Amino acid sequence: MTASMILSAWFTDSLDEVVRRVQRSLAVVQDGRRGGGAGVVWRPGGYIVTNYHVVAHIRPQRVVLGERSLPVRLVAQEPAFDLALLQADDPNLPVALVADTHDLRVGQIVLAVGHPWGQRGAVSMGIISSLGEAVTIRRPPGWRGNGWRRSLSAGQTESVPIIRTDAALAPGNSGGPLVNAVGGVIGINTLIVGGDQGVAIPSQVVNAFVDQRLPRPVRESFV
Amino acid sequence: MAKETGENPLTALSEAMVAAVASAGAATLTVDARRRFPASGIAFAADLVLTADHVVEREEDIAVGLPSGDQVAASLAGRDPGSDLALLRLEKTVAAPAKPATGEARVGQLVLALGRPTSKGIQASLGVVSAIGGPIRTGRGGLLERYLRTDAILYPGFSGGPLVDTSGLVVGLNTSGLARGTALSIPASLAWQVAQALAEHGHIKRGYLGVRSQPVELSAAQQRTLGREQAGGLLLVGVEEGSPAEGGGLLVGDIIVAIDGQPVSDPDELVASLTGERIGQPTPIQVIRAGQVVTQPVRIGERRS
Repeated sequence: MTASMILSAWFTDSLDEVVRRVQRSLAVVQDGRRGGGAGVVWRPGGYIVTNYHVVAHIRPQRVVLGERSLPVRLVAQEPAFDLALLQADDPNLPVALVADTHDLRVGQIVLAVGHPWGQRGAVSMGIISSLGEAVTIRRPPGWRGNGWRRSLSAGQTESVPIIRTDAALAPGNSGGPLVNAVGGVIGINTLIVGGDQGVAIPSQVVNAFVDQRLPRPVRESFV
Repeated sequence: MAKETGENPLTALSEAMVAAVASAGAATLTVDARRRFPASGIAFAADLVLTADHVVEREEDIAVGLPSGDQVAASLAGRDPGSDLALLRLEKTVAAPAKPATGEARVGQLVLALGRPTSKGIQASLGVVSAIGGPIRTGRGGLLERYLRTDAILYPGFSGGPLVDTSGLVVGLNTSGLARGTALSIPASLAWQVAQALAEHGHIKRGYLGVRSQPVELSAAQQRTLGREQAGGLLLVGVEEGSPAEGGGLLVGDIIVAIDGQPVSDPDELVASLTGERIGQPTPIQVIRAGQVVTQPVRIGERRS
């Protein structure tokens, strides 16, 4: 074997390992019709993050992880960041490796894992194309619809950091993970712009959302 | 939080890409010289920026954005619409020049396309060199000797920006303005040559003959007369009055078969042979005229665009 053959075999093995690691925590969020979107087991206790738009018009009853179909309930949602938090009926689901996203760099190799066009667990590779911000609208409670779309209805505009990638995304990638070269989740794939640019919500935003919405452990207090 | 799980080739490649974007990104600038959103440019020298000609719609009031976010005023130093390249001169010396790759690009080679169409940081996409081709007519009256194609996505505003290798060295300049909107890259060696000439003269000198021609097949008898196998030549269907061709004695009906000893059988080869260095030089042009092979010395003129 030549050095370059060994390198490419090693490269392929590494990719394989990273993809397997990610797929363990990858869920199918079923909408009962088109196959729905993807989700990531984010925290112990069966907590799964997906996009708000994946669950906006359905109330998901079940998610599929590997071969298992599990009942699920909607815990929280944030249309402004297009995020939703589900809880599956199994506290021991394998939790994804969540990366620190404060020092992302343009050029980093990324993999998008999801179910594009219903193809389960499919992987596409690219890089971080740019790091920027998007303006979103925080809607009043009770508002239904897509948080990205501008409209004249009431709401407070807010900017949210985003990751843009050239990794190919398609419907069915929504809610799925964008991961770095070691398989750490750096964001939730959310949007496709202009047909060829994917947008992901960075993990720091997801963490803040989850921290805010998860029931806090009860603390005893001295009286 | 994720821990680095040791060195693997994927993380090594990722680090290399980040480093390439950082180093080439420092020489990738914003070029604001058109009505639509800005495009990109490559720092050619401390005060010169190479970009795509089609993104320079105005010759005054040009602004160049630096990686720091600062803007510098620039003027047009020269342009060559034929190869879709333009050179801008900055009002002060600020840019860190880009480094061109020394070898030729190879099909399959990993490349990054960079652009800086906004002040909000560098943008990049990953791909390979998909094809190397040429020569092609550019649709802007020019002839590109060689071009590269890539599958890296060229996002809006990437025209004028660099295609770089994994070390951040420039292998080409990306443009969507040469071949009816499809993106291609001008190889760095060609782009640098043109930039050098633009820096010196403000335009690219191209030779001028003053003929209209069409390719024709050469018969077996004509090839015997010629004494070599050559499938075709260029039939002259027009010779401009007062042109170098007329001055050199070329006539309508002549079939051009060689220029300075180099066989010529299609119009692109003729254009390619009329390089700037030939201007003012008596150049032997071999034609078939009335069944005879004749060689006429023609003093090549300069084309005015």
